[in-house]
Amino acid sequence: MTILSRLEQWKEREVISPEQHALLAGLSRGEPFSVFLELNILLYAGILLFVGGLGWTVSTWSQQMGDFLVLTLLTLILAACFWYSFSRAPDWAPKEVPSPNLVFDYVLYLGCLIWTVELAYIENRFQMLSGQSDLYLLATAGLYFFLAYRFDNRFVLSLALTSLAGYFGLTISHWRSNQNSEYRQYAILYSLMAGGAGTLLERQGLKPHFFGTYLNIAANVLFWALLSGIFERLNHVVWFLFLLAACGASLAWGLKRRQFSFVAYAAFYGYVGVSSILLRGLQDFAVVIYFLVSGIAMLVMLVLIARRFGREQ
Amino acid sequence: MRAYHASDEESLLARSLLKDWAGEGFLSESQHKQMERETVCELRRTNIFLRLVLFFFALIIVGAAVGLFFLLFLERSSQQTIGLFLLAFAAVSYVAAELATSKARLYRYGIEEALLVCCVGFVCVGMYFTLSSGSFLFTSERNAAEFLAAVAGSILSLWIWHRFGLPYFFLGAMIFAVWLPSYWTSSDATRHVAVAALYAAALLTVMIVRPRHRFTFLIQQYSIAEALLWFGIYLAINLQLSDSKLSGRATTEFARPFYWTTWTLIWCLPPLVLARGLRLKDRFVIVAGAIVAILTLITNKSYLGGERHTWDPMLLGAFLIVVALVIRRWLASGLNEIRHGFTARRLSGKDKVWLNTAATALGLAAPNAIVPSPQAASPDAQFGGGDSGGGGASSEW
Repeated sequence: MTILSRLEQWKEREVISPEQHALLAGLSRGEPFSVFLELNILLYAGILLFVGGLGWTVSTWSQQMGDFLVLTLLTLILAACFWYSFSRAPDWAPKEVPSPNLVFDYVLYLGCLIWTVELAYIENRFQMLSGQSDLYLLATAGLYFFLAYRFDNRFVLSLALTSLAGYFGLTISHWRSNQNSEYRQYAILYSLMAGGAGTLLERQGLKPHFFGTYLNIAANVLFWALLSGIFERLNHVVWFLFLLAACGASLAWGLKRRQFSFVAYAAFYGYVGVSSILLRGLQDFAVVIYFLVSGIAMLVMLVLIARRFGREQ
Repeated sequence: MRAYHASDEESLLARSLLKDWAGEGFLSESQHKQMERETVCELRRTNIFLRLVLFFFALIIVGAAVGLFFLLFLERSSQQTIGLFLLAFAAVSYVAAELATSKARLYRYGIEEALLVCCVGFVCVGMYFTLSSGSFLFTSERNAAEFLAAVAGSILSLWIWHRFGLPYFFLGAMIFAVWLPSYWTSSDATRHVAVAALYAAALLTVMIVRPRHRFTFLIQQYSIAEALLWFGIYLAINLQLSDSKLSGRATTEFARPFYWTTWTLIWCLPPLVLARGLRLKDRFVIVAGAIVAILTLITNKSYLGGERHTWDPMLLGAFLIVVALVIRRWLASGLNEIRHGFTARRLSGKDKVWLNTAATALGLAAPNAIVPSPQAASPDAQFGGGDSGGGGASSEW
């Protein structure tokens, strides 16, 4: 029985009204057809290409264009974006506030990216805070947090969290070469701070829908940091115990809140960590046996979890 | 022919739509609950995260089981023997996947998907090992083995797509099909034409079959297949994307008539795909049309041998923004914000979920991409670093 036949039945049995039937049957047939998502993707891609091209042009032609022209151009775009955002913004509320229109979020996002380009340009050309460039990051993170909360914008919240991570010495490009203890400590401190701040703000009722963003980022950074500790030969047992505790907490949280991404983190990161410890010094045959037995154990556990908790898509 | 009852899959589609409509406020909670009770199906599903980890661990188990078997019994066996046993493992994997769906009623559960992926992998490698006789002395023999492995992989992937409805197996079948013309011809141009012709034949079949399944659960499956085929045809004819970048060969090696025919085609195809997608109101085909249109704009300069400029991405970005704004304004000015059956309003709760997820993930990734390193052409430029962590973090950090 197709969805259209079902809707017809529900209308006849007065489960839904004739108006609802007309609306839902229309939606099932694609009438009207919403291009909301496609327009959002187009805007996002357009802004990234625009800012990427602008950054590339400025970096290549800065000598020919001159500092004054570059900074004036960037400042004008920045001012226009922020003027638009502040003049069109709905009143602030602690709960989720829908955007006034489709482009609002993207104009603010464009402004924030332009700010990033301008700040990088100023620092690289004039070295105004030479030796203390981390202060730029901290100030930028603060500005982005303010804008994210003022305008209820997840894109900007992600930028704020990335800038804060930058302040703590974390950039993705550094991970491969600098898995040393100093970075690890900063990463753990960052994840605890981000997770703690997210929890506190959620409890205060300040944009509680942002909580997931905080927690997902904090969890991934924490797990990467703990895994990097396990991969090192020194003190790996301590990191292993921390990883087990983090996995337990992630699993319990995921099951309690029905946030299955945290169950997946616990299973995946936990398995990688445990395997890296247990596989040390094992020969071919034992390795294969380990993967077979541990794989079956994990599969059985996850199927039980899926049957008990995770049925819906 | 399908592994699941049509009524079960229709129920799943209905439940998904009901959840979506309830999330958007088109149905009250009590209505949603009552309607959900009437769309119960016996298939076992799970959410995307558990599906992914179940897929991962099922792959590990199958890999480890096969590895153990080879370590115990076939450590010094010939390549042909290994190939035959891999074919046997493929059969076992397929039967296990069938049992998982028929007995355990698993549906998009990760486990049966991993078994099917292993089945295709074992068949391809198994056929290649079996037919290449354990030596690569004879090129023709090796080519024949590669060809037959690709044929088997393509046919098996198509069968799995048809029986289980997993869209990525259709993509797999298309990828295997790319290898087929290499056996018939050594001419690059003929290979491009042959791949495009294979995809076009498949597209024609899909276009004939899909109207029968309008408003049923199968429409999405055919819609994705059609979008992939349009995209595949485009990639096959766009020499700047499919040849020079992949093989490192200069596109100027092609005969001029062929080269300029493909250039004409890459301009003709996007409006055709977009028009069909809009006429059918098919989201996947519309997206395929938009992607190929953007790719045409990006590769046009390379085709014409023009010089690339640093501001090209900026102009393209501005163009995309203007297009989005014009479409939005045009749709919003219609009666009830609808024109010709299209609207820019959000009508699905899923769109919001997708956007929220993307905002978190893409917001983290984007800043690393937008501030490029200084170009060698401008040695005086001091600006850049390429790895800003968001608010312009320098590479020292």
